[in-house]
Amino acid sequence: MHRLPLFCAAFILAAGSAWGQSPPAQDQTEQIRILLERVQQLEKRVAELEVRQPAAGAPVLTAASAPAPEPAPAKAESTEASAPRSSGHQHDVQEAQATVRQMETHYPSLQIRGFGDVNFQATDQQGATSGFNLGQLDLHLASALSRKVSYFGEITFNAQPTGYTVEVERNIIRYDYNDFFKLSFGRYHNPIGYWNTAYHHGSWLQTTISRPEMVKFGGTLIPVHFVGFLLEGNIPSGGAGLGYSAGVGNGRGSTISRPGDAGDNNDNRAWVANLYARPAKLYGLQMGVSVYRDKITLVPTVPPSPNGTNFREWISAAHIVYTKESPEFLAEFANIHHQNVLTNFVTNSQAYYVQVGYRLPWLEKSLKPYYRFEHTHMPLSEQVLTNQDLVQSILGVRYDITNYASFKGEYRNTKRLPTEPKVNGVFFQTDFTF
Amino acid sequence: MNAMKKRVAAMLLMIFLLTMAVQSPSTAQTAKGDDVAVVVNSDTPVSDLSLSEVRKVLLGERQYWNSKLPVTLLIRAPVARERDVVLKVIYQMSEAQFKQYWVAKIFRAEASSPPKIVYSNDLQYEMVTAIPGAIAFMDARAVRPGVKVLRVDGHLPGEKGYPLR
Repeated sequence: MHRLPLFCAAFILAAGSAWGQSPPAQDQTEQIRILLERVQQLEKRVAELEVRQPAAGAPVLTAASAPAPEPAPAKAESTEASAPRSSGHQHDVQEAQATVRQMETHYPSLQIRGFGDVNFQATDQQGATSGFNLGQLDLHLASALSRKVSYFGEITFNAQPTGYTVEVERNIIRYDYNDFFKLSFGRYHNPIGYWNTAYHHGSWLQTTISRPEMVKFGGTLIPVHFVGFLLEGNIPSGGAGLGYSAGVGNGRGSTISRPGDAGDNNDNRAWVANLYARPAKLYGLQMGVSVYRDKITLVPTVPPSPNGTNFREWISAAHIVYTKESPEFLAEFANIHHQNVLTNFVTNSQAYYVQVGYRLPWLEKSLKPYYRFEHTHMPLSEQVLTNQDLVQSILGVRYDITNYASFKGEYRNTKRLPTEPKVNGVFFQTDFTF
Repeated sequence: MNAMKKRVAAMLLMIFLLTMAVQSPSTAQTAKGDDVAVVVNSDTPVSDLSLSEVRKVLLGERQYWNSKLPVTLLIRAPVARERDVVLKVIYQMSEAQFKQYWVAKIFRAEASSPPKIVYSNDLQYEMVTAIPGAIAFMDARAVRPGVKVLRVDGHLPGEKGYPLR
């Protein structure tokens, strides 16, 4: 009669005990991993001690076999045993210090990274040919020259019909005073908007195959490069996460798509200012506004004339991006204002793009479909730039084959001038960093 | 007889609950064991950071403790639990996204080097004590004297509400 409650008690005790000892599966995995780590560390330590054993063992044996009163050998053994431990400890400390010294930054500390891409395209545009082409081979150099001075450079090798051209894309020396004040000199990507300073020439870094039309390399809508000096840093603003960059430089050169690398073509300096916010509570979000002011001097070549026509250029831009990939959202807008200094005739052109992407949760998050819409409007009366009207939709997918290489495939539907037909095309790219 | 059965049942229930209470690990112990401490060189002029400030430091958006003291970031090598916690809670990134983030960060000329990779808590400890401005993330149980443990959102490791676990 009393056996049943006793049996129940034993069963419940055992069950409770078993339950108490069984943490959730995830905890177990973590514990196993921690234990494995400890085991590895201990194994390493044992191996190190075993290597030292012969040297340490000899004096201990000598001391233990020495003829002496009973208590003495123990004392001697203890003393001798502690000596190798002490020297072993000293050796450990020296080893650790050497490792620390190795891991400390040495100056200059040059790092080189490369980017490359190979492309294929086919469109239904009349007269266009399909085929492969090599994208830019891009080398990026970064070197800390001291704790507060750094150098950054970017050089591209560009395939041309007759060979390769080499271009110094960025060449920057920067002095950091603190987080709020960093001064640099050189050739930059102009800090107008987001894309131009986020992805530079590394196709692998961007989701899509190509840059938006408004910031494309060799384009004229926005001056992509800037030669001069730049101040940048954070603005003390708590959770708002404000930052700025502001600079003065040469502005557009005689060739409108290029900056004045070798000198300005007029006595007027361009200036640029960019203000952005990365709110702490909305991690991944960035919003910003930029302004750029320049005086452009266009010197006609036909017929040749020593005096050019001057225009005031005022670019205002805004962007909002969310870069956490699930989803990714990028949107930029820019207005390009030109005013003829002589006649005061004014034109305004606008360009914007909206891009969305989503890193899918399957296949180790290696797939990212995306869509981008771009629109550029330029009045026919635009005085400085050639017409670049554009309405374009891009639908594509990015597949990250490794951490450092990807495949991308895109379908594009493009319409330029109202009189021209729509062009459909497929584009493929493999891009990588090394 | 019924009263006897009730007493036996009550006793069994009590034994069961006591067994559970004794044998299951206490919440406080588990929390402390799982916590990842934010440690800095003892000369670093901070003792309390919010989680978003820690994130700012790890993202390389805050690179100086003050004008004379740059931040040196240390992070454990892949597979270490401390790294997993840092990536999950602070960066909110996968391993691949973390690598891409630092490639991009240097490419944008916003930093001249990525965080230094350390392979053990011992080495991490040595580096934090040796390098002024160093910040590292280590198992709270492995913290030794000689480094400063930062409060995160006002909490130390082991305390309720500590975010890095």
